[in-house]
Amino acid sequence: MKIVVCVKAVPDPKEADKIRIDPETKTLIRDNVDLTINPLDKHALEAALQLKKKFGATITALSMGPPVAGAIVKESLALGADHGILLSDRAFGGADAFATAYTLSKAIEKIGQFDLVLCGMASSDGATEWVGPQIATFLQIPVVTMVNELLHDSGERWLVKTAWENGYRKVEVQLPALLTVAREINKPKNLGFSGIIKARKKEITTWSHEELDVSEECVGSRGSPTIVADFGTLETAREVRMLEGSAEEKAEQLVEILAESGAIR
Amino acid sequence: MNDMKAETNKGSIWVVAEIKDCMVKPVSLQLVGKARELADQLQMDVETFLFGDRLGDGPQLLVAAGADTVYTAVSDELEMYQPELYAEMICTLAKEKHPEIILLGSTFIGRELAPIVAARLDTGLTAHCINLVLNSDGTLDQQIPAYGGLISIICPDRRPQMATVAEGVFSTPGADRSRSGAVVSMPLPSDVRWRVKTVEIVEEQRQEQSLESASFIVAGGAGAGTHSGWGKIHELSGILNAALGCTRPVVDEGWAGLETMIGQSGKMVSPQFYIGVGLSGELQHMVGIKGASIMVAINNDPKSPVFEQVDYGIVEDCTSFIPLLIEKIKARVEQKVS
Amino acid sequence: MIDFTFTEEQEMFRKAAREFAEGEVAPYIPEMEETGNPPAGLVKALGEAEMMAITIPEAYGGLELGYTARLIALEEIARVSVATAMMLQVFALGIEPIIVFGTDKQKEKFLPGLATGERLATAAVTEATGGSDPTGIRTSYRKEGDDYIVNGRKCFITNSHIADTLVILAKSEENPKDFCAFIVEGTMEGFKATHEEHKVGMKGCNTGELAFENLRIPKENLLGEEGKGLRVTMAAIGDVGRGGMVGCALGLQAACLEESIKFANERILYGKPISKLPAVQNKIADMRIDLEAGRLLGYRAAAQHDATGRSSNEFAVAKYYTTEAAQRAAKMAVDIHGGYGCMEEYAVSRYLRDSAVVGPSAGTSDIMKVIIGRWALS
Repeated sequence: MKIVVCVKAVPDPKEADKIRIDPETKTLIRDNVDLTINPLDKHALEAALQLKKKFGATITALSMGPPVAGAIVKESLALGADHGILLSDRAFGGADAFATAYTLSKAIEKIGQFDLVLCGMASSDGATEWVGPQIATFLQIPVVTMVNELLHDSGERWLVKTAWENGYRKVEVQLPALLTVAREINKPKNLGFSGIIKARKKEITTWSHEELDVSEECVGSRGSPTIVADFGTLETAREVRMLEGSAEEKAEQLVEILAESGAIR
Repeated sequence: MNDMKAETNKGSIWVVAEIKDCMVKPVSLQLVGKARELADQLQMDVETFLFGDRLGDGPQLLVAAGADTVYTAVSDELEMYQPELYAEMICTLAKEKHPEIILLGSTFIGRELAPIVAARLDTGLTAHCINLVLNSDGTLDQQIPAYGGLISIICPDRRPQMATVAEGVFSTPGADRSRSGAVVSMPLPSDVRWRVKTVEIVEEQRQEQSLESASFIVAGGAGAGTHSGWGKIHELSGILNAALGCTRPVVDEGWAGLETMIGQSGKMVSPQFYIGVGLSGELQHMVGIKGASIMVAINNDPKSPVFEQVDYGIVEDCTSFIPLLIEKIKARVEQKVS
Repeated sequence: MIDFTFTEEQEMFRKAAREFAEGEVAPYIPEMEETGNPPAGLVKALGEAEMMAITIPEAYGGLELGYTARLIALEEIARVSVATAMMLQVFALGIEPIIVFGTDKQKEKFLPGLATGERLATAAVTEATGGSDPTGIRTSYRKEGDDYIVNGRKCFITNSHIADTLVILAKSEENPKDFCAFIVEGTMEGFKATHEEHKVGMKGCNTGELAFENLRIPKENLLGEEGKGLRVTMAAIGDVGRGGMVGCALGLQAACLEESIKFANERILYGKPISKLPAVQNKIADMRIDLEAGRLLGYRAAAQHDATGRSSNEFAVAKYYTTEAAQRAAKMAVDIHGGYGCMEEYAVSRYLRDSAVVGPSAGTSDIMKVIIGRWALS
């Protein structure tokens, strides 16, 4: 079985608060925040690894990003992927979800024959949830999003369960297909020392737009249908009154405020 | 058989509406209301889609909300959401009619369908908008919160411009029964072998108080620290008879489900009282809260941005403060009773 | 010589160790503090995460990674739980002598099980009459045919009650200048783990006493040359033991610094966070200086061992420095926390108690100075 897992390098979600937009230059300031594998992509990789264990498979980890994103492709290899591909090129920079999906789909076409593409359902820093479905549309394969359980996963027709409003949905899907996965689908295993050692022998290939045989017009910011036009602050009309005193005193004051306004009943 | 409008030069704004248990979803009506507003400014028509096995008076409701045309498809095959059928019907018509704008709700359907349609139509898309306004040149300004501020996104060159919007962002329009509009039925595409098929949908009855209708909400964030810390916040909401909400980190930790999340990609709420515990006032969450009379924040970081957005602030660590607050409230409630 | 950066692979080892420590070790801390015993689940998790396999050769199921990787792993685990790091580091004290002095047969018999964590190791040298001075021990052996009969008691032995593969030191009954190192298996008759200690810190790391009563050891379990046992055990305690303490101390230093920074940024006095006060800034600067220096000493010694196989003096310097620094850091961290520093819910109170135990482990500071002085004067 041939599986492609799309992984994204994102700022460590635990430090996401530190990232701000510079109001003057309208660019992101993100010094001192480490990059890590997008958490939901780890679930996608774990799903691939479990399929590998069950049926035997080769797994390719694919990522689009700057050269430093190579570290997370390496990490994917250490977690158990067999091959790694990094799409890195100045031309890919500034891509919106559409251009990102297009570029990734071109890479998957170049990889050749595959049975399954797996992605996390959203990234922790963009969270549009769209790259997966758009990759599938460009590749002209079916897509199912928010998959949280593989009910029947052999042969060419799979049955999967997805998240749904206050419940769930069961979907039949024909392979080759793309699935985006939700957190509940599995518990990713930790990075381990022997995995890191095995990764020494695994290869990471880097492709630029030339290797993908795409024109610069179609990728990166030039290939993005949407652009950020403006950035402003959100005005809030409240003036805060900070309560003072010991913890006990503050708790009592808060209870008073709530009681007076009818919140405690 | 097919009552399609003659091709005119008048542009259109489309809304992909959804129906559940024979009732049009509130978000669809809200989007039609907004589309009507935009269409009036641009002098365009509002056209909507409604698919299902039983539509009831859905089409009429959409017209009353502001639609000029409702494209319907009714069939047993459409009892449940079928992604390929929906995408095929919408895209085929879009390639013929070139709508200016397509809007979808940020529902489970919209979140999957919108990107598929946008990719097929080779156009751009903005997720979870909290506002839509027209720029002076007539392009759609799609606003989303990010990185502590508000970002305006536009799709300058390609058409249609597409956006998804959550329920509660826009208000539900009044029903104007005097409005008239065309209801046009669409044929199902035939001769196509579907590769994705929804075979079952199960929706459970909600147990807890619905967030959207709650008048008192206690919301917790990453500051809860641990699962048992979260449990204390849950307890606090219980003794206050408040609904419980949360931010994304809480969902990521697995302490609460996505349906508890308040914010841009979660639920939009409008309580009278709101207490935010151990959350930093991240914009994605705060934009989900509208019109509360009293907002209180409890956070251990005096520099937390949340304190700029509330009426009362308390700098305390929730692990120690919440149990204390629970004691005090219990005492007060007892006092009232006695 | 000088490239002070870690390789990409070493950074990944650190990431893996940190994820393991935060995800798998941290949840056991309350239980360890409560019971004082190592939870079975924790020991199992350590084995599954291949932590015991780090220094074992590949041929015997290990990862053959060397001392730098070991130090990285110990530092990251100690940052979350010094007790766990101590338990782990002492496993290596029993493993290393077998790697260095074991016959092929012994290595084949013991190392694979030790690599997976199925077997747990320790070294038992210290006694009431000699720890800093191992020649003062009284545990004795005599030959009986092909076997050795051992009698005596060991004390302050880490992993005493969980180890089943123990490298012990005994003195010849006939000639007090001769020592033998033996591999004792927990199932042997005459071997018993007796009294368990209740340490003030490093709770959850098991420390206790062992008793040998006419313990019959077959000649296959003699480790190294007969009469030359001191070399065997000193090799263990020297590099491995001291190197392990460096890991424990560095992790503890890092934890003290991180907690202090967090608290100092949150605690408001006089209208601003106490991190603005010079008195607090000085303490934090001191902790940072000690951590930078400790890391350089530790990783230099580890790198040297990986390159040349010898670094017991350099490890003595690093052990002295980092364990002393950890004690200072814990005290400063508690001071910064004010009244909260003495409360059990605050991690720094645990760090203070843990810091009391890193000093005397694997050789006291005074003994380190004796060793370092001798080295400098030679």
